[in-house]
Amino acid sequence: MVPGIWYRRRGARSDHAILLTGAVIVAVVLLIALFSPLLAPFGPETSSPDVSQPPPSLSEVPVLLWQSLTGQLVRPVHWFGTDNAGLDIFSRVLAAPRTDLLIAVLSNAFAVTAGTIIGLLCGFFGGRVAELVMRVSDVVQSFPILISGMILVALAGRNAGNIIITLGLLYTPVYLRLTRIEVMSHRRRGFVEASRAIGLSESAIAVRHVLPNSLAPLLIQLSVMIGFAILMTAGLSFVGAGVRPPTPELGLMIANGVEGLSQGDWWPSVFPGFAISITVFGFAALGNGLERLHAA
Amino acid sequence: MVRLIFIVRRLGFGLIQLLTLAPIVFFLIRLLPADPVSRLVGLNPTPDSYQAARHALGLDQPLLVQLGNYIGVLGTPGLLQGNLGVSWSTGEPVLTDIGRTLPVTIELITLSFLCAFIVSFPIGMLCATRPESLADRATFMFGLFAGSQPEFWWGVLFIYVFFYVLNVAPPPLGRLNPLLHPPAVVTGFITVDSILAWNGRALLDGLHHLMLPVATKVFVLSGPIIKMVRQNMLRVLGSDFMLYAESCGLSRGTLARYALRNALPAALTLIGVLYGYVLGGAVLIETIFSLDGIGQYAVNAVLNLDYPAIQGVVLVITAVSLLVYLMLDVAQAAIDPRVAD
Repeated sequence: MVPGIWYRRRGARSDHAILLTGAVIVAVVLLIALFSPLLAPFGPETSSPDVSQPPPSLSEVPVLLWQSLTGQLVRPVHWFGTDNAGLDIFSRVLAAPRTDLLIAVLSNAFAVTAGTIIGLLCGFFGGRVAELVMRVSDVVQSFPILISGMILVALAGRNAGNIIITLGLLYTPVYLRLTRIEVMSHRRRGFVEASRAIGLSESAIAVRHVLPNSLAPLLIQLSVMIGFAILMTAGLSFVGAGVRPPTPELGLMIANGVEGLSQGDWWPSVFPGFAISITVFGFAALGNGLERLHAA
Repeated sequence: MVRLIFIVRRLGFGLIQLLTLAPIVFFLIRLLPADPVSRLVGLNPTPDSYQAARHALGLDQPLLVQLGNYIGVLGTPGLLQGNLGVSWSTGEPVLTDIGRTLPVTIELITLSFLCAFIVSFPIGMLCATRPESLADRATFMFGLFAGSQPEFWWGVLFIYVFFYVLNVAPPPLGRLNPLLHPPAVVTGFITVDSILAWNGRALLDGLHHLMLPVATKVFVLSGPIIKMVRQNMLRVLGSDFMLYAESCGLSRGTLARYALRNALPAALTLIGVLYGYVLGGAVLIETIFSLDGIGQYAVNAVLNLDYPAIQGVVLVITAVSLLVYLMLDVAQAAIDPRVAD
C-alpha cells in the first residue's frame, strides 16, 4: 500500500498549505483592520481636488516607493488612484475591513451566542417547543438570505447596527442546527451518564459537559460564516440596501466604480474587488483547513 | 396514483404555508420603523399632504382592516382572490409586475444550473477516476476559490474584460438589444418565445445578452457542484455493485452510465441546497446586468418601501421554492424508485 501512504502524505501537506494560506490572509486583514489609520496616507472620507485620478503607472511605482520610504515625497501618492468624489482608494481599501470585518464578526458573535444557547436547549431537552423552533429555523433558512436581509435592513434603517442584528438573526439557525446535532449525539454518551450518576443537575451537565464537547464544529463553521457575512455586507451595500456612502465599505466602493468602468476607469472598482476577493478566499481557506485538521 | 396523491397533498400543504406566511410578513414589515409615506411626500411636507398620501396608500386604516383588505375577506379582491394588490412604485398590479419579471429570473437560473452541470459533471467524474492527481487537486483549489467569491464583483470584472476591453459581450443593459424587434410574449421566457415566433435573431441576441450573467453564475456555482459530483462518483465507483458490474465484463460506457445514474440523485439534492443561494445571487446579477428580473424588482420594492410589492415578492419566491422542492422530490423518485415509497 505504498501509493496510499504517498497520497495521504501529499494530501496532508497540501492541507497545511491551505490552512496556512488562509491563516496568513486572515491575519493580514485583521492587522490592516487594526492599524489602517496608521498605514493610510489619507482619511477614508476626506476628499481631495484630484477627482477620478488614475493610479501611478507601473514604471513610476518603484521611484515613488523609494521616495516614500526615504521620506522625499512632496505630497502623498494616490497609490490606487481616486474615485469620482476625489476619495483616495488605497486609504479606503485599507479602512474598509474595519466596516466589513466588524459587521461580519459581530453578527456572527450574535448568531453563535443565540444559536448555541437555543441549540443546547433544543438538543438536550427536546420536546414540542424544540420541534417548533426547528420548523421556524427551517422557514428562515429556506428563504434566500440576501433577499430577507435586504428587506429587513432597508425597513429597519440602513446602518451598521441594524445590519449586524439582521445578519445575526438570519445566521442563528446555522449555529442552532449545528449545536443541536452535536448535543444530541453526545446526550447519550457515557460521560453524561457518569455525571448523572455522581449527582450533577441536568443543567450543569448540559452547560459544563455537553456544551464544551459540541463546540468544535461550530468554531470551524465560524471562519466560513465570517466570509459569508462579508459577502452579505458587501452585497447589501452593492444593491443599495446596506451602509450608506461615504462609509469605506468594499461592496459600496465596487458599486460606486461600476459607472466609470464602461469608460475605462477600472481602478475605483478593481482594487476593492481584489481586496474582497482575497479576503473571503482567506476565510474560506482557513475554514477548509481547520475542517480537514479536525477530521484527520 | 400514489404519486399523484403525494403531489396534491404537498400542494395543499404548500398553500396553507403560504396563507400562514402572508400575515406574518404583513405584520413584520409594518413592525419595522420604515415610513413609506415620508418617502412619497418629500422632505418638508405639510401635515395635509402627509395625511393625503397616507390615505392614498391606505395606511390610515386600522392594521386589521389593512390585513383584511390584503387577504381579501372585506369585499375587495385580495390574496384569496389571487390579487396581490397594486405596487406603490410602479402603479401596476403586483401580479402583473411579477409575471413580467419572474420568467427572466427563472430563465437565468435554469440556464445557469444547466451550464454549471454540463461543465461540472465531466470534471467531477474525471477527478473521481484520478483522485489526488494534479488535475484533481487543481480542481479542488479552483472550487475552494470560486465557491467563496462574491459574484457581483466577478460580474463587474467580466463586464470590464469582455465588454469594455475585448468587446465580445453586449453592454450590460438588459435582455435584448433595444433596436431589435422583440418576440411576442407567450411564456415570458425570451429564449422560448423567440423559438415559438421563429425569430432567430432575437434568440441569438437573447442568448448573447445572457452570456456574461450565466458565465458569472457558473463560475461561482461550479465549485460546489464539482465537489459533490466527485464525492458521489468516488462513493459509487467504490461500491460493490460497480465491482460486480465490472467483473461481469461490461463495457466502460455501460459502467459510466450506471455510475452516473447512481450519482444523479445526490446532484439533484444539491440543486435544492443551492437554489436559495442562487436566487439570492440573482438579485446581484440582475442589478449588474439590468435584466429586470424578480431580483431587481425586489431591490426596487425594498428601496422604495413598496409594501405590496415586498409582500408579493416574498410570497411568490416562497411559492416558487416550494414548487422547486416538490419537483426535485418527484424527479428523485423517478430516478431512484427506493425513495418513492
